[in-house]
Amino acid sequence: MVFNSVAFFVFIVAFLVVYFNLKGRMRIWWCLLGSYFFYGWWDWRFLSLIAISTMIDYLLGLKLDQTDDSMKRKRLLGLSMVMNLGFLGVFKYFNFFADSFGDVLLSMGLEPSWNTLHIILPVGISFYTFQSMSYTIDVYQRKIPVEKDLLRFSTFIAFFPQLVAGPIVRASDFLPQFKRDIKWDWNRFHSGTAQFLWGMFKKVAVADSLAPFVDHAFFDPVSNSSMHLLIGVIFYAFQIYCDFSGYSDMAIGLARIMGFDFPENFRTPYFSKNFSEFWSRWHISLSSWLRDYLYIPLGGNRGGSFGSWFFMLFFMAIPVVLMGSVWLGIAFVIISLATWAYAQRNPAFKLQTFIYLNLMVTMLLGGLWHGASWVFVFWGFLHGFYQVVQRFVGPYFGKFMRWIQMPSWARDGVNMAIVFFFTCFAWIFFRSPDFHIATEVIRGIASFENFDFANVTNKFWVARGALLIAMLLAVEIAHARLDYKALVLERPVFRIASFAVIIWVISFLGTFGSNAFIYFQF
Amino acid sequence: MKNIYWILAFFLLTFTGDRIGGWMLESLVENSQFRYSRMYRGEAKADMLLVGNSRGLSFYQPYMEEFTGKSTFNLSYSAMPMNLADALVRDYIDQYGAPEYMVVDVTLCDRLNPQLIAGFNCYTPFSKRLSELIYETSPKVQIGGQVSHLFRNNGEIFQRALYYYNRLDEDWLLNREISTRLKSDVASVEAPTVELVPEMVEALSRLVSDAQSMGVKVRLVVSPYYLPFAQKIQNLDEMVAQVEAATGLEVFDYSRAMDRDVEFGDYQHINVKGSKTFISLLKHDGVLP
Repeated sequence: MVFNSVAFFVFIVAFLVVYFNLKGRMRIWWCLLGSYFFYGWWDWRFLSLIAISTMIDYLLGLKLDQTDDSMKRKRLLGLSMVMNLGFLGVFKYFNFFADSFGDVLLSMGLEPSWNTLHIILPVGISFYTFQSMSYTIDVYQRKIPVEKDLLRFSTFIAFFPQLVAGPIVRASDFLPQFKRDIKWDWNRFHSGTAQFLWGMFKKVAVADSLAPFVDHAFFDPVSNSSMHLLIGVIFYAFQIYCDFSGYSDMAIGLARIMGFDFPENFRTPYFSKNFSEFWSRWHISLSSWLRDYLYIPLGGNRGGSFGSWFFMLFFMAIPVVLMGSVWLGIAFVIISLATWAYAQRNPAFKLQTFIYLNLMVTMLLGGLWHGASWVFVFWGFLHGFYQVVQRFVGPYFGKFMRWIQMPSWARDGVNMAIVFFFTCFAWIFFRSPDFHIATEVIRGIASFENFDFANVTNKFWVARGALLIAMLLAVEIAHARLDYKALVLERPVFRIASFAVIIWVISFLGTFGSNAFIYFQF
Repeated sequence: MKNIYWILAFFLLTFTGDRIGGWMLESLVENSQFRYSRMYRGEAKADMLLVGNSRGLSFYQPYMEEFTGKSTFNLSYSAMPMNLADALVRDYIDQYGAPEYMVVDVTLCDRLNPQLIAGFNCYTPFSKRLSELIYETSPKVQIGGQVSHLFRNNGEIFQRALYYYNRLDEDWLLNREISTRLKSDVASVEAPTVELVPEMVEALSRLVSDAQSMGVKVRLVVSPYYLPFAQKIQNLDEMVAQVEAATGLEVFDYSRAMDRDVEFGDYQHINVKGSKTFISLLKHDGVLP
């Protein structure tokens, strides 16, 4: 069941009527049943996977609470990691690694013969697995108390507004909220509805309206003009933003109506002035998860660890093995040894190197989290690379800008344009099914052949898309500068007018029918 | 004021705004210079009716009228399926009577396209036939259009009607030349096929038969493909034979009739230059009067 479907609207009205007429544990039971129903609507067989994942982390949490033996605690944590990552590995990455291993054998002149399994990717597995893992890690680190109530814990894992596409909510934020006395609250209803409708505008009007043009551009890049491809890439940047942040907005809005507060997941990321800022505004719940549970344990800004080297060598070995290039391997070895030798003499350089390594590893694994394909890994690599380069070049670039006495607003504009440009470049790989298509798109744009608007096919899609992007940006800029709550939400006439306007715009400009969310596949 | 009254006010406002907005958009569609608006407004009387998908736009009206001396009306639209063309032609005949000639590019039988048909929702206030066709192919869209009049005007066809509000669309045709990339890549194109949809061929056959019974001279053609591309299409001859068998009419096949690169916009479409050549070929062969 997806939020932008008639079935969901029937479900949510019936669900909320009963929800607010129940109290205490009955209400949590209802919430859990509703969540399982919501998920089972897609494929009831995978409910067992959520239930097993829930039971494992619930029981391991209890065990962790019962023991102070550090070795035993480590083993329990390790078991949780193995189980959760095992599920993820089997359902999401099995075929990917099997195919890649086959490629490696082929590159060595061996011909593997095995069949990959036809495994369906359970919707939302990456989200609820990470949510579940974060609970166990937090209990292990004694950051949060163990949750002894299985009902509350199960509802935390399966809570339907954010079950299939996030945001990834931490146990420390979520579990205490079950203990609140939740009552129907008109203010929550108004602000939750506003956020839900805005999310729906982003998804149904913007993302789904941009999708046909983007699909057309990436389906057969060779037959499209360079201008067409360029617009396709820019549209994709907005499509994926609106698709994913739209879902997050709907999830947060729904949860708010139900009496729960979820953290913000997107904060106008395309207004970022550098790549670090971009990652503090894009998919915040994932980037903060990766920071807290991967980057910092790897050493973060404090130095390196065995994990830093291990993951980096692993990722460096991949292109060497896949391409079968001995020279590339030798080059990597020489660079690594030279770096290591220089780092031994220069502690400051050593620290910097480790920071970059940790950053790269985090972004590479972040890329892999998005999907079982090397294009996602490369997308992660690009974002890691951008951040490393930014740390090198950023200070000099800032000095240069000040030296030419560029006004601060123009400086901000240039920085935003640079970040947007390189983000779009990385999106090409993210959107393309393989490297061949990605390079065709880049080649097509760089050829500048037929680089004028007259050579864009489906100009009406462009006009519609441009109008919707303009509306989106106008509202986001206004929202950042004005107090929407005081100006609109607290004034009933403005409030109902703003809701009606969103519904009119969705009716008139929304795209209905193709309603799957992109991030469901992750 | 109690919250419940505000909720009622919200529904009332949403509904009223939808109806007022829908009425305004309907007026825009009705008064546009877009071909279908003119047709339903009663300003499209012509001697020759041209029907096709995007390739049907190769029947470039200014040249056509110059060459034949006949007035023309082109009902073609990109990716138009035959069942939609059928509804539009029948609406045309209901309103204006039978035209003298009807030229159809038969490649519009190659697809079902409920999405495009749904886009014609904005013309349902003017055509019961279109409304029924949309209900048949996309019932939710037709019902949605009854519920929300803004939604009825949600789509590319409305946008085109808006774009052509003050300008005619009769002289539009691709004006670019096929790119060097496309030309060089044609060798690597995997052998394509043109698969006709049997239901669409049947619809064409019925339309041809009904039009002929009303005295319309029907001409079936296949307009030109970029020659190196056409040579790769595996089943062009079978396709032509299939249509001829179904309709009992000769299909004038120009799919491989033109070979100058400068006359094509891409693999499937001739440009303005190519249209002149194509129309002179049609005239020369007696397809056009």
